[in-house]
Amino acid sequence: MDGKYASDPEWASVTPIPLDDGEESGASPLAYIAYPTEYLEATSYLRAVMAANEMSERALKLTQDVIAMNPAHYTVWIYRAKILLALEKDLNEEISWLNTVALKYLKNYQIWHHRQVIMSTRASFPTLPPKEQDFLVDMFAQDSKNYHVWTYRHWLVRHFKLWDNPREIEDVNHLLKADVRNNSAWNHRYMLRFGPREGELDAGMANAGDMSTTPSDKGVLGVVDEDMVDGELLYAQEAIVRAPENRSPWWFARGVLLASGRGLEEWEEFAGKFVAGDVVKSSHAVEWLADVYAGAGKEGLAVDMLNLLKEKYDPIRKNYWDYRIKALGQATA
Amino acid sequence: MPPIVAGKHRRKVRFPSSTSTTSSNSTNQQPPPTKSTLTNQKRPGQSRPRPKLSSATTGKMTSQAAPRPGIPDLFTQPSAIRDPLVTETTDLQDATLEKCLPFLKGISSTQQGPFNAYGVPALQRDDHVAFLYDSLEDYPPGFVILDASRPWMAYWGLAGLFLMGEDPTRFRERLIDTLRPAQNSTGGFGGGRGQISHLAGSYAAVLSLAIVGGEDTYSLIDRQAMWRWLGRLKQADGGFRVCEGGEEDVRGAYCVMAIISLLDLPSELPPDCEARKAGLNTLTDGLAQYLSRCQTFEGGISGSPGVEAHGAYAYCALACLALLGPPEETIVRHMNLPLLLSWLSSRQYGPEGGFSGRTNKLVDGCYSHWVGGCWPIIQSALDGKPQGSGPPATTVGSLFSREGLSRYILSCCQSPTGGLRDKPGKHADSYHTCYVLAGLSAMQHYHYRTDSATGSNKSWASAFTWRSTPIREDNVYEKSDRLAALHPLYGIPFPSVDEMRLWCEARPITP
Repeated sequence: MDGKYASDPEWASVTPIPLDDGEESGASPLAYIAYPTEYLEATSYLRAVMAANEMSERALKLTQDVIAMNPAHYTVWIYRAKILLALEKDLNEEISWLNTVALKYLKNYQIWHHRQVIMSTRASFPTLPPKEQDFLVDMFAQDSKNYHVWTYRHWLVRHFKLWDNPREIEDVNHLLKADVRNNSAWNHRYMLRFGPREGELDAGMANAGDMSTTPSDKGVLGVVDEDMVDGELLYAQEAIVRAPENRSPWWFARGVLLASGRGLEEWEEFAGKFVAGDVVKSSHAVEWLADVYAGAGKEGLAVDMLNLLKEKYDPIRKNYWDYRIKALGQATA
Repeated sequence: MPPIVAGKHRRKVRFPSSTSTTSSNSTNQQPPPTKSTLTNQKRPGQSRPRPKLSSATTGKMTSQAAPRPGIPDLFTQPSAIRDPLVTETTDLQDATLEKCLPFLKGISSTQQGPFNAYGVPALQRDDHVAFLYDSLEDYPPGFVILDASRPWMAYWGLAGLFLMGEDPTRFRERLIDTLRPAQNSTGGFGGGRGQISHLAGSYAAVLSLAIVGGEDTYSLIDRQAMWRWLGRLKQADGGFRVCEGGEEDVRGAYCVMAIISLLDLPSELPPDCEARKAGLNTLTDGLAQYLSRCQTFEGGISGSPGVEAHGAYAYCALACLALLGPPEETIVRHMNLPLLLSWLSSRQYGPEGGFSGRTNKLVDGCYSHWVGGCWPIIQSALDGKPQGSGPPATTVGSLFSREGLSRYILSCCQSPTGGLRDKPGKHADSYHTCYVLAGLSAMQHYHYRTDSATGSNKSWASAFTWRSTPIREDNVYEKSDRLAALHPLYGIPFPSVDEMRLWCEARPITP
């Protein structure tokens, strides 16, 4: 090969390790890719320096070259992180570079884990860098429900203890103002308010994974700030009024009530506003009332609500509503 | 008859894939295939122009056009309630519905018949089989981004072919050629030579090897090294990293359980691994609790604790729990089941009939497997402890609309150039082809557990008690659209599960 590495004196000491996919010896591997020559060469040098566990500037440059050709190459990301830490590189510079790469490859997993590895270096980032949340806002402007970005943001909150950092709830408010149906933002909101904090294992709901409790105890907090709970319930109600057929705030509210040990019945009147005779404005309100009635021993009324869902407002889920009706001990209509 | 014969015959694929649009900044690289090259490569007889569905006026016309006979209003009429407030979510949802409606009504000019009495088009078998054979052949340089996913490409192609009634064992030699250089002497498989071992690649490799079967195939896997490597991925909180230095998530947990149960690996942690220092003794210590912490207030399950509930991770978590032990014990013990059922059930949308992965996101054909695959596991958990060698005397039955999902798959997910897709307007790829077909297969079979497991080892025995029988009751597809059955926890043929497990049991690994 006489590619850019083979002809570079800096790389003269390295013997590349070719892909050797068996093509030459007559094998015909599945899903073979007609790799571009540049990629074959760069990855053959990558194999060689990785085999020697080389931590060097030239290896770092090589990783950037391979990433540019294939950002989904997870191996090269892991190797790059190792080199950066071994050479004690300026990690702020790495974050700046990652910003451009992340905006370019929106669906990539590896970038976000790499960012987390870099950001978790306490020596370089003892506290939250001021621009970090701004960058995440830029990412959400591209895709407000990007799962990898939200996963990273959740990690960031725990790592830097940002539950009460005003910027977190501000960004959630902003996203929900733009699209009240952004369920990722609702989830983040729930975790900011009710998620486990310092010293507790991370979990989507309190008590989860605790063998001394049952699954029905999941999500129930021992102590809650009642003012905060009331504020969150009011926030959910305002969101529901804007768009009653939006599942997110209804289920957020269920989570809030569960966390605070309060029952669904305190919203009976509110939910009832969306189920007035023939004018039903929210299937979630109908389901809410079904649960309130079921909890109060009014099975007949609960079944009426479930039948409304089954027959008119959410008929694709007929079998599920039938299952719920059966569970109430009533014959399926 | 499939129009293509597999073997040494190498072809350049016409390969439509949404992933191919990812560009790289390498200047000398050939551009990846684009939509325009694709449309030029349509085969004869499929060159009818696509209707322009993007404009509002055309949209109105299509939504008002009459459907074929035999299609209930449930699958052609928008939901009864619609909020006036418009946001990005409703814009995307409306656009999706507008694109799906002509397909649901059976009146899109790109659909191929024949249509049956239910207004549902036939499964275009030859086209999909051809697509799958192609998917195992050569890719042009623009597909370099798949370099780390080649074990996946093998799995999707082989599983898809099996579902379609083809014989994947003919690829045995070529699969071994593909995976041998991807295995690391330190345990596990990477995407190819020189790539570090990854749980996703190892899972896809082990499943693919199981599908093609045979002594030479099984003995390719260094099970002792695999076990040691898995030990190095175990984390103090009970979960697993996907590779050394990589992220920890529910995919990792599921892939590990699939691998150790199929390969009959010891459950003990290797003596020298880090997780032992955290007080853990086995690969499964704390694993169910880790999964429990991934359930969210919505009831669904996230990729890692505290993140949004997601259909693909829900499958990974539930299948992992069902591998750990009988689901009526593991799932009931670790999940809030009423909450989970509510969330899982709300993944199905009308009138589309398909599943979405998250609340307020769009339907996507791949969730036919990820969400659809949760249902047999949940159903089995609700049916309780198996009492005999056949199906249970009483069952809770299907808690979702089989008809809806079958309609979405056959009407909306078949690409006119072969292969299956996310939704109308998207290109087919082998990932969607495999998982949409897997979803259709799951609609057509009843999966249940019996009271006896294949093999004699008691570890993970529940995983080996699953059986399946075709559902004969009415549905909207034709006999000729029937697919083969896949094991609900492994996604490979039932005999492949049993044979690999028995072979491994006969060759125990000593810790």
